[in-house]
Amino acid sequence: MNLTVNGVEHTVECAPLTTLLDVLREELGVSGPKAGCEQGGCGSCTVLVDGEPRRSCLTPVAMVDGAAITTVEGLGTPESLSRVQQAFTHHYAAQCGFCTSGMLVAAHAYVEGGGSPDPKAIQEALGGHVCRCTGYVKIIDAVAAAARGEEFDLTVTAASAGMTNLGGVQ
Amino acid sequence: MKAVGARLPRYDGIEHVTGRTVFVDDVVAHGTLVVKALRSPSHRAVIKALDVSRAEAMPGVRAVVTWKDVPLLEYGHLSALGIPADEPLLAKDEVRYKGQPIAVVAAEDEDTANAAVAAMKLELEELEPLFDVRRAFAPDAPKIHHWGNWYPHFEGEMDRRQIRKGSVEEAFDSADVVVQGVYRPAAIEHVPLETQVCLVVPEANGRLTIYSCTQALYFSMGVVAAHLQVPLNKLKVVGGTVGGGFGGKVDTATETLCSLLALKAGRPVKWRWTREEEFLCSSTRAPWHIEIADAVTKDGWILGRKMLTLHDSGAYARFSPYGLTKHSFHHTGAYTIPNLEFDGFVVFTNRVPTTAMRGFGVTSVSFATETHMSRIAHELDLDPYEVRLKNANRIGDTSPNRIVYTDPSTVPVVKALAQGMGVTLADEYSAMTRDQRSGSLLPEHLVGQLGNPEAH
Repeated sequence: MNLTVNGVEHTVECAPLTTLLDVLREELGVSGPKAGCEQGGCGSCTVLVDGEPRRSCLTPVAMVDGAAITTVEGLGTPESLSRVQQAFTHHYAAQCGFCTSGMLVAAHAYVEGGGSPDPKAIQEALGGHVCRCTGYVKIIDAVAAAARGEEFDLTVTAASAGMTNLGGVQ
Repeated sequence: MKAVGARLPRYDGIEHVTGRTVFVDDVVAHGTLVVKALRSPSHRAVIKALDVSRAEAMPGVRAVVTWKDVPLLEYGHLSALGIPADEPLLAKDEVRYKGQPIAVVAAEDEDTANAAVAAMKLELEELEPLFDVRRAFAPDAPKIHHWGNWYPHFEGEMDRRQIRKGSVEEAFDSADVVVQGVYRPAAIEHVPLETQVCLVVPEANGRLTIYSCTQALYFSMGVVAAHLQVPLNKLKVVGGTVGGGFGGKVDTATETLCSLLALKAGRPVKWRWTREEEFLCSSTRAPWHIEIADAVTKDGWILGRKMLTLHDSGAYARFSPYGLTKHSFHHTGAYTIPNLEFDGFVVFTNRVPTTAMRGFGVTSVSFATETHMSRIAHELDLDPYEVRLKNANRIGDTSPNRIVYTDPSTVPVVKALAQGMGVTLADEYSAMTRDQRSGSLLPEHLVGQLGNPEAH
């Protein structure tokens, strides 16, 4: 079977019912998608299959033969964050970080698909994603900001406070 | 003051949003074995026989560990503080909760590990379980713990956490009304998105590297070293990245068993609990049973409080004596009551052992005391803000455990609450401050306790 993961082509040899999550994490070493429940209940394993959000823990790899897979690692890099990644950082929408990978992938699809900044619509779109840290408010704020097209220069908040990530108070 | 009030970036924010944060399950060690556990299917039973020989003989099985393999089988979570141990790392003679680990296996893959668990022979003789803390004291209740049905080692040999302050009898004699309430906050599972997970790598130099999702790294290190009977310098614990904990990852749930398996197999082992295990077998916040009776004047002064707390510890003590102690110190809530009679019991049941969660022991007492304040106001037809402001802690008041408050925040907090709710307070109340009591705010029943840690 052939998979393109974050732009890189892979040939995978495994049982056809192996989950996409296992293939990504165990075979290909792509650890962004997380195994939170492995029952399709929590959303932390979500990836994009040809642009559509899917639960990778419920997706047999044979179903996605030939598809293009995007995980959180494929959305942007630390030097060049995507719009939702910027918004999540700015709005503190990632706390422990475990649900973030799946949450971001789904939010990315929502925003890039022209989703509205209306909180109710965002709740509907991310309804299958569980977060136990934030209480969701910051996540919805972040997705709304991204949906409005806001961009954030994340270096400014740090520098203007006289702080850096590495050095503490300067 | 560049830091206070400044908007600071999360130090791990960029790693989180790019998927580069390395959680325990993301660490790769060559040749890692998969761990699974044989867990008790019964709430309470005697273990008549355990035979793991068929599992050990299966191709692909690299190690099986039972109680016989543990150098120090019982080590309590508070042993380092001198509190005796009661929980075996793996069940030996009996099981006391459904899901209690009895044996663990490390195998080449998940299917083999599950098959090995299924091949273990376990013979149980069922016993009557106890689930209701209120029944624990009945003469005909099953005796479920070798210490009895409640923890007997407060201050060495007391069977309860007890607070006596002032004269409760006098307070109840002079009360206009007695206001009573029973409060029962329920158990809560923490449900971290990352289930309990641990990876242990045996190093060539004889040390173990333990990748742990613990919330309490040095604490877990001590627990592992004690069970293994090795010095701390044999262990290197890598932690700090926790995929949600909320108190549920304070207990050392996986590290010791993985260490034993890694040593026996001579290979790295990883144990990642399933979501089902997390729900059924991991510790929860305790359910509490709280009874309050207050001696109250008709204008809303609380003269005295009698309180009984039953803290459901589940099958073993773990941290519960500590949680109940915190609970007892806060049993007047944010208010000053000079005459107190508090009895709290850590009660054993055949539930999963309970543990810390977001304000260990104190969230339960806050729920009970705040609900009770509103009940007092309701029964006396008084304003709930006014009853709170009157009895609110002030500078110089003393806590149940006789600490003199120097920086109490109840008055400003209640006033801010009223403002936030759009409630206009009467002038007399809106003028209140947290300053030391005097005049009409220093009624006779509070005179003796003011600034006096030795009161009564």
